[in-house]
This record gives sequence, structure tokens and C-alpha cells, in this order.
Amino acid sequence: MLHAQQVKKSFGDVAALRGVDLDVEPGQIISLLGRNGAGKTTLLSIVAGLVAPDEGTVHIDGIDVLAEPNRAAQVLGIAPQETGIYPVLTVRENLHFFCDLAGVARSERRGRSEQIAERLDLGPLLERKGNELSGGEARRLHTACSLVHQPKLLMLDEPTVGADVATRQQLIEAVKEMADDGAAVVYTTHYLPEVEALGADIVIIDDGQILARGTQEQLIAEHHLGGLRFTARGGVPSEVFDGLDIFERGQSGDSGDETEKDQTFVVPGDLTMAGLLARFGDQAHRLVSVERNLPDLETVFLAVTGNDLAGDDVDVEAGN
Amino acid sequence: MRQALAVAKVQLKIFVKDPWFILIMFGMPLVVMPLFRNVLAASLVDSGFGDATGAELVVPGQMVLFGFFVGGSVGFSVYREHGWRTWDRLRSSAVPSRYLLLGFAAPWILIHVVYSAMLLLAGGLLVGLRLNGGSPVAVLIMLFAYSSCVIALILLATATFRTVNQLSGLQNVGAMLFGGLGGALVPFEALPRWAQFVSPLTPAYWAMRGHRSVFLENGGIADVAPSAAVLFAAAAVLAVLATSRFRVDETKEFFA
Repeated sequence: MLHAQQVKKSFGDVAALRGVDLDVEPGQIISLLGRNGAGKTTLLSIVAGLVAPDEGTVHIDGIDVLAEPNRAAQVLGIAPQETGIYPVLTVRENLHFFCDLAGVARSERRGRSEQIAERLDLGPLLERKGNELSGGEARRLHTACSLVHQPKLLMLDEPTVGADVATRQQLIEAVKEMADDGAAVVYTTHYLPEVEALGADIVIIDDGQILARGTQEQLIAEHHLGGLRFTARGGVPSEVFDGLDIFERGQSGDSGDETEKDQTFVVPGDLTMAGLLARFGDQAHRLVSVERNLPDLETVFLAVTGNDLAGDDVDVEAGN
Repeated sequence: MRQALAVAKVQLKIFVKDPWFILIMFGMPLVVMPLFRNVLAASLVDSGFGDATGAELVVPGQMVLFGFFVGGSVGFSVYREHGWRTWDRLRSSAVPSRYLLLGFAAPWILIHVVYSAMLLLAGGLLVGLRLNGGSPVAVLIMLFAYSSCVIALILLATATFRTVNQLSGLQNVGAMLFGGLGGALVPFEALPRWAQFVSPLTPAYWAMRGHRSVFLENGGIADVAPSAAVLFAAAAVLAVLATSRFRVDETKEFFA
């Protein structure tokens, strides 16, 4: 359904995409996983014909997006990152307008609008104006406007940003149903629980390049770091790090007092808890917690990119 | 084309839900007309129109002047889409950019014509504007010609300016400058010679010339044809320029 090949894009001196390939089949949900600025939105904008690539080709349902953008747009639904609805129009009027824009027959417009409204729990709000909706309701309407014409390719750019838990769940269910109906879905996010809930195949993008792709199970099997995760308070003796690659995963405590600051680290590999305790020696009282570094997408992302999804480069303590 | 119609319909819907700007622009000229009618009547009599009541100038003049403010709304509606974050949604739909512009322009030409016609009717009731032997069809032609020209000019400005404040500046200065130079505030004959020289460069001049030929000289379609032709031609040129200048991927700033 979507076939993007060697897509490159720079903004001035900044390379946003460095030769990206992406294929999505009908019924498949791809979760494009990356930090802010990784290139997710640029890639989606190029596929949607909003931004022209410097190099590369994009085909949707066999249609060349660059040569026939308007034809390609007919099979595409995109919900940009920022909520875009008509605040003075009702939910129904918003949905009808996006039906008209996509060329849905007038006879089907009402049915389609009510169906998608029902799916996203907007049914009781059909006669309410956009500016009378809560943030979560507006977000659902924003997404509904991109689904209402039943596109073959659906692209959702961080659809749950700022949404409450219920809205997240409804959006995820709606996306899964669209995929079950045969739509190809590209879903960008940096919320890992959503990726797991979608059961999506994962594409990890960082610094404008796709670094890994596969099912969750495949990626965990290939890239899981193993080892331990520990939190220490008041600093870590340097000898703990000797000969190890250790990723710092964050700090907590804002008193400014170093002795009160907690730091969390991941130690990949075979180090045991006893081994870690031995390295701390008489400073073991600084350890707040130690646990096995369980296999999850967070550590996969860390292993693939060397970065936290939250956006900060992690410190890699020098090892051998 | 079907999508252009959808955009046009939604613009009309948005207008209907908040018509206050146009209603204010309708009320203001009604206040101004009685204030200036007698002064303009005297001026017209001095210019050789012995039976003039002043309504023949003050009503079309105010319509032309405030019509420029009303025309600015088409530009505001484009910037507003950026403010509502709906512009990218329009762009990513299957609407070619020229149809997108048509979808914005068409409803505003219609609103502008209806606004102008209502103002002429209100001028008739309020200060006694009469057609006498003039042709109502000729008036209608002039309304369409001026509306098309103003909307096309505002669209060109919208294509050129990045922020809504820049458009607002043009709207305010343009209305007064074009209206003043074009003979919408005082009779053309009373303008200084330098102003008479540059007056034909403004849409207001041609609009006023056409309306004067109907309301002062009982003119018909043939009498307004030259003025209407100039306005329609200017509208076509401005529309082509607007379409070629318009960059749908340019970010525009609505009120921050």
C-alpha cells in the first residue's frame, strides 16, 4: 500500500531524512518510533504530499505521490500532530465537510459520519460545536476527520498527545478496527505502551535513518540488553563502572543536594546482583534498588539508538 | 471542482455562524450617509448636476469604501485556517491549490455582492437613493465587477503577506487611500489634479464611475460596460497573479 524508497530531505544544513525506505501492507499497523526531531513528522509530511523530498520516491496504492499528489490524496487519511478542527462548526458538520473534501457521495455522508462518530464515542456529541468539546473529545474528532472517508492508508502523527487515558484507548481501538478492515496504518508515537497495545510492527527511526524494524518479539529477541537496572543515591563509586558499559537512564531529586539525588543505570550483559554488590563494596548502602533489566521496548530502543525515547542522549560510561 | 464547492460551502457556513463583522460594516455606512449627503449634494450641484440629492454619491461611495473592508474577510478566512490548524488538512486533501483558492474566493464574492446590494437598498430607504431611469442590471454588473476586483486584490495580498497583521494594514490603509483617491469620499471633480491623475489606478475610481453613470446620468448596461470591463480585467489579472504567487506550503500567522 505504501512504498517509500530512499527518501531524503534536508532543511538548510540539517538532514531530516537520510535515505529512508518504508513499506506498509494493507491491514498492517506500523508504529514509527522515535524521539522528537527523529524525522517521523517529516516522513509523514512527505508521504502526504505536504513536503517535497529532496530525493526518493513515494507510492501509495501504486500512485506516485510526487507526480499525482491529488490522486494519491484520495486514498490517504492523515491526522497531523496538532489538533485541526473547525471550532465554530458542529462535530457533524466537521465530519460532513471532510467527507465532501474526500469526495464521499452525499448519500453516504451521513452514514459514514455517524459510523465513525460511534466508533470514537462522539455519537452523543454530533450536534456540539468544536469549541465546546473537551481536549480529548477534540482530539477524537481530529482523528475521526481523517478516518471518515475510509482511507486505504491512514497516517496518525502522535494522535494521543495530550489525550486522557480513555481517549487513548478509544483511538487505539479505532485504529485496530481500521486495520482489521484492511487499511494500512502508520502510527507515530513515543509512548511505548501504545505500541504494545496496538500490536504494531515497529520501525525505529533516529537522526533521519531507520535503524531497526520488526515485530516487538523480533526486536526484543535481537536487541534486548539483558543485565541489571539499579538506582543509587548520592553518587556511584567510579570502580563500579570499571570494565562495564553502563547506560545512565535518568536522575531524580531536585534539592540540589548531591547526596539526595537518585541516579538510575542499566548494566547490560552478565553482571549478577552479587557482582554488583561486590563492586559497590562498603558503599552498597547507596543502592536504592536493583532489578533484572527485563526485556521491553524501552531497552530495545536504548540498545538500537543509544538514546532514551524521552529525548535525552543517555550517558554511556566508558568501559573497556 | 466538487472539493472547491465543499470549501466554499464551509466558508459560507462559518460566515453565517459569525456574521458580526459584516453587520458592523453594514451599520457604519448607514450612520455616515446622512452626515455627508448634503455636503456632497452641494458639491455635485457645483459640478453641474443640478438635481442631485447627494445620495447618488454618498451611497455608492460608502459602499465602495466599506466594501474594501468587507473584501478583507477573504484574506482573514485563509489566515484563520492556519490559526485553526486546518490548513494542512485542506492541503493534504485532494484539492488542487487553484480550486482551494476558488473555494475561498467564490463565497466571498457572493457575500460582497449581497452586502453591496443591501447597502444600496438601505441607502434608498435612508437617504433617498433612486435609480430614476438607470438600469438595475447595470448596477448588478457593477457590483459583481467591483466585488471580483476587490476579492482578487485581497487574495493577491494574502498570497504575498505572511501575517494577518500585514493584511490588516493593507485593508485599513487601502480602503481609505483607494476610496479617497477613487472619488468615493468626495466627487472626482473636487479632487486635486494630481489625485485625478492617479485616480484611475484604483478600483474605487472605476466602481464610482460606473455607479455615477447609472445613478446620476440614468445610464444603462452600455454606459457601465467600460468601467465593468476594466474591473473584470483587473480582477482576472490579479487572480492570475494571486494563483501564481500563492504557496500552499507557506506557513502563515494568524493572531498569536
